[in-house]
Amino acid sequence: MSTLEIRDLHVKVKAEPEHPEILRGVNLTINSGEIHALMGPNGNGKSTLAETLMGNPRYLVTQGDILIDGQSIVDLPVDERARLGFFLGMQYPAEINGVTNAEFIRAAINARRPEDDPIPIMAYLKQLDETMAVLKMPEDMADRYLNQGFSGGEKKRNEILQLMMIKPHWALLDEIDSGLDIDALRIVANGVNQMRGADFASLIITHYERLLDYITPDVVHVMKDGQIIETGGPELAHQLEETGYEHLKAGEGND
Amino acid sequence: MTELTLPNTPKIPLARYLKQAPDAFDQVSVQADSAVTVSQTAAAWPVRSAVDAWLGAPPVTEVFIPAGYHAEAPVQVTGPQTGSALVILHVGAGAHVRLQDRWATSGQQLGVGVLLELAANAEVDWLTYDAFTAHTAIVQRTAELADHAKLNWTVAGFAQNSGASLLTVNLNGTGSQATINVGVLASGSQHVGYTTAMTNNGRQTQGHINQRGVIVGKAHLIFNGIGHIIKGARGSDNQQENRVLMLGSKARGDANPILLIDENDVTAGHAASVTRVDRTQLYYLMSRGLPESLAKRLVIRGFLEAGLLEITDPALKQALFKQIDETLVMADA
Repeated sequence: MSTLEIRDLHVKVKAEPEHPEILRGVNLTINSGEIHALMGPNGNGKSTLAETLMGNPRYLVTQGDILIDGQSIVDLPVDERARLGFFLGMQYPAEINGVTNAEFIRAAINARRPEDDPIPIMAYLKQLDETMAVLKMPEDMADRYLNQGFSGGEKKRNEILQLMMIKPHWALLDEIDSGLDIDALRIVANGVNQMRGADFASLIITHYERLLDYITPDVVHVMKDGQIIETGGPELAHQLEETGYEHLKAGEGND
Repeated sequence: MTELTLPNTPKIPLARYLKQAPDAFDQVSVQADSAVTVSQTAAAWPVRSAVDAWLGAPPVTEVFIPAGYHAEAPVQVTGPQTGSALVILHVGAGAHVRLQDRWATSGQQLGVGVLLELAANAEVDWLTYDAFTAHTAIVQRTAELADHAKLNWTVAGFAQNSGASLLTVNLNGTGSQATINVGVLASGSQHVGYTTAMTNNGRQTQGHINQRGVIVGKAHLIFNGIGHIIKGARGSDNQQENRVLMLGSKARGDANPILLIDENDVTAGHAASVTRVDRTQLYYLMSRGLPESLAKRLVIRGFLEAGLLEITDPALKQALFKQIDETLVMADA
């Protein structure tokens, strides 16, 4: 049992210190085993929260803290956070030429293991084949260059493939449903659901209730204007689908 | 007799390099099947520019690949252990050839000339692997293409030397086509310039240049791309891309695309960039737990790979990747 605690988190874009904060005092606690959904209108800080938790150097924490079991991780670089168990399924994954998908995922797994004990290649390939089958990904995607020329849907599926192979403790999924047709959405949701367990927690960012029909969250939060303004059970997502975000309190969004 | 001029090589101090005479000449060795003939001839090197004149009139190795030749095994030219060398390769009409030239030659001031002539309908896959250990090398490689000849040329520049590399493709015959991919890793205090020229002389000719360079340490790398469509070369296409990636604050890079177009009914284009390592890519790789040094190596390898895409020989590709990794590890230290 592990706890991720976000305490009064304030965040700016590092390159724009004169601009106002994007996050203005976020408080959130996630325990392992839980799935949290983060909803809210565009441009209100949801992606910034996910990127800041992951350690994107673009963002600067100006106040507050991020703690795992009481230990601050704010000063850790992104790769160390990843090895601690964070994973960010990105909205726009980078394309990287010259590095195959299979080679990359193996390097990511080995980065978590002692240098003299890499994952045996046969065991790895077997696991990769099985996971790709769950996600209904064609075999050749293992040998293609990382995200290079992948369609939007293929990239999202590839993020979930990495999630399932790397098996993080804290999965931040940023609009993993955008650009997916209904079949792909089901497949991706199924992948995430397979990860559920006592050692796994997730913060799922989405605009639509649709994804939450397939991945039932334990807690739903609404973020507006850099703060979490409402928290409830899964029923909150259904309410929002009917009423929208307009009536909720707090100020205007940033966009 | 008209006066010989220097080729146009912006930012490369060619005239200064040529003040020093080339090292003594030796012979290349040629490995090929019995259909290919090799002979040593005197004074056969055509003198068209001041660089040719500088190379002088030493013995030249001539390689004749007969018309209609087809073979899977490559014709291999290997530069001498030490010393300058000249080689002319004649590819007969309709021949299909895989050609390799590899150089790990040592010396002070190498003069290297390679001339490749493709007769009508000949098709050549050419792989050049430069791993010179000489101090300076002036390397001139020229390909002349007759009607409907095709050239697919990859140049892997992984040498330690300073100097100039002049790569020239002349699309002389109607419908001839050439692609030249150049991948260069410059390191140490190397100062090296590539001038890659593609000239459309014939009608309906297509020429593409794609150059990728990574610079580490205090090295300086210059990429000149010169696309030239001659008047009368109607329906031709000339494209080029020159991209340079710099690592470290002391690395210097230049990418100069030059397009000279003397005909209307043509298509042409260019792209060039001098950049540092893509932060978004690094972040993505590191967000999966890869340490920064490894993430950087993968990004750089990927960048360079776009210039070495056509290398299908897995052993060579592995060797190049290994050299990239080792060079970068040394640069990190």
